[in-house]
Formats: sequence, C-alpha cells, structure tokens
Amino acid sequence: MNVKTSLREVERRTYMSYHQDGLLDIFVGVYVLLFALGILLMTMTEFSTWFVIPAIFPAIMGPIWISAKKRITMPRIGYVKFGTRGANKLMAIFIGLAAAGLGVFMLFGFGASMGQGWALTLRNLIIPSGMIIIGILAAAISSLFAYTMGLNRLYAYGLLALVLLLAGHFAIIPFAYSLLTIGLTITINGFVLLIGFIRKYPLSQGDETNVEKSL
Amino acid sequence: MIMTQLYVVESADFLFLQHQLQMTPGNLSSHLSKLEKAGYVEIVKEFIERKPHTALKLTKKGSSAFKEYQRNLKQVFNDLPK
Repeated sequence: MNVKTSLREVERRTYMSYHQDGLLDIFVGVYVLLFALGILLMTMTEFSTWFVIPAIFPAIMGPIWISAKKRITMPRIGYVKFGTRGANKLMAIFIGLAAAGLGVFMLFGFGASMGQGWALTLRNLIIPSGMIIIGILAAAISSLFAYTMGLNRLYAYGLLALVLLLAGHFAIIPFAYSLLTIGLTITINGFVLLIGFIRKYPLSQGDETNVEKSL
Repeated sequence: MIMTQLYVVESADFLFLQHQLQMTPGNLSSHLSKLEKAGYVEIVKEFIERKPHTALKLTKKGSSAFKEYQRNLKQVFNDLPK
C-alpha cells in the first residue's frame, strides 16, 4: 500500500467535497460570459472600455463568493480550513501564469513597437489563428488547475473550450459566440451541480449541533 | 479515519467530519471524546460571525502518533511474505 498516495487521495476527496457545490463553476462561467458580452458590446456599440467589466469582476465577486460559501456550503457540509500548502501551490501557478503572460505581452509589444521583423511575423501568424491559440491555452490552463485542485471536471471544461474554439475557427463562428457557448455551458453545469448539492445535503436539523455542544 | 481526515487539513468542524466519514453524530462524538482524552485531537470552541463553532484539529502529539502509525502500517505490509 502506498501511504502517501492514499493520503493524497483523502486530501483530494476532501478538497473535491468542498467544491462539489458548483459555485466555482458558476463564477467561472459568469466570468467567461462577461468576457463574451464585453466583446459583443464592443463590436455592436464601439464601447471600447468593455474590458473594465471582467477586470472588476473578481473584486466584486470575491465577497459574494465568500458569502455564498458561508450561506450555502458551510451550513450543509460544515467548515474546513485547508493548510497553506495547497493555497501556496495555487498562488504560485497564478503568479507564474500572470508573469509569463505579462512577459510575453511586453516582449511582443516592445518588438512590435520597434518594428522588429520577428514580432510582425509572429503577429501575422497569431492573429489569424487567435482562436486556436486561445483554445490551446484555455485547455492547458484548465488542465493545470484540474491537476492541482484534483477537480476532474476542469479537464472537461478545458476540452470544451478547445473543441468549441477550434470549431469556431474552422467554421468561422465569431469568437464572442464561442465564448458565450463555453460560459453558458459552464454556468448551467454549475447550477445543476448546485441544485444537486442542495438536494444531497439539506440543512441539518440540529442533531449535530446538540452533540457538538456536548464535546 | 478521523485522524487521517484531520491530518490532511488544518482544521475541520464536526459537521464536515461527519459528512466526510459518514458517521452518526453520536458515534463521531464518542470517538472524538476518546481522541481528545488521549491528547490527539484539540477541540477549539470559537465564534464565527457571532455563531458558536467547534473546530477540531490534530495536536502535535496526534500528528506524531499518526506518523508513527503510518510507519508501523507500512512495516506490517513490507514484512508480509510475497
């Protein structure tokens, strides 16, 4: 028996049980939907500051997320505090991805502004295949988070994004519509999970609280 | 299993353990009392948003006892004839 693997499995199951409420899916789905709506808004009304909407989303949704966890998840399955190890790993991935993205963006921007041949060639290669590149990136990032968090449905979301964006590229479907479909699917799945979660874990009748008091 | 569950998290409350371990409140409470008496589990009473809350965590003694148990268990399996 591999004791470490078993402990990792217990850890994974514990983490998964805390995210089976679908809230993560709803928030990710709504975030993708906002991006899609922002792009649609920009193309329809030339409202160029659309990116402000998804940019302020995490700041607004952070407190809502915590409140939803406290009101929906915790009264049903209880409260757990995970160690800092997992959070540190996730933070390292976030920072790594942000730094890599910023680095590539700055290098590319600098090269393009200096009229460097390689940057222009790269830009000419990237722009027509933007949806393929975004699809591959979305699948890779989803898989990375799925592996780290032990949430297998994130693999499915990554695959969905890859398939829909590839299909969008070849079938010449506008990027915003592909994003809308991805966001909508994830959000609906989140609500399905949430309803299942609420049904599976009804609010406790107080038995536990009474026994808990006796501890 | 209570020790395993508490080993992988920083702390958890009664309800969470009950769901994870599929135990009745009475059964879990009885096991926790024994573990507390042995000094393996610490029961922390606190208030979260003005509501009473009972958090359970492994003590240092509990953590080392669990590691020792892991080592012993491994040894048992390693010593088995192939």
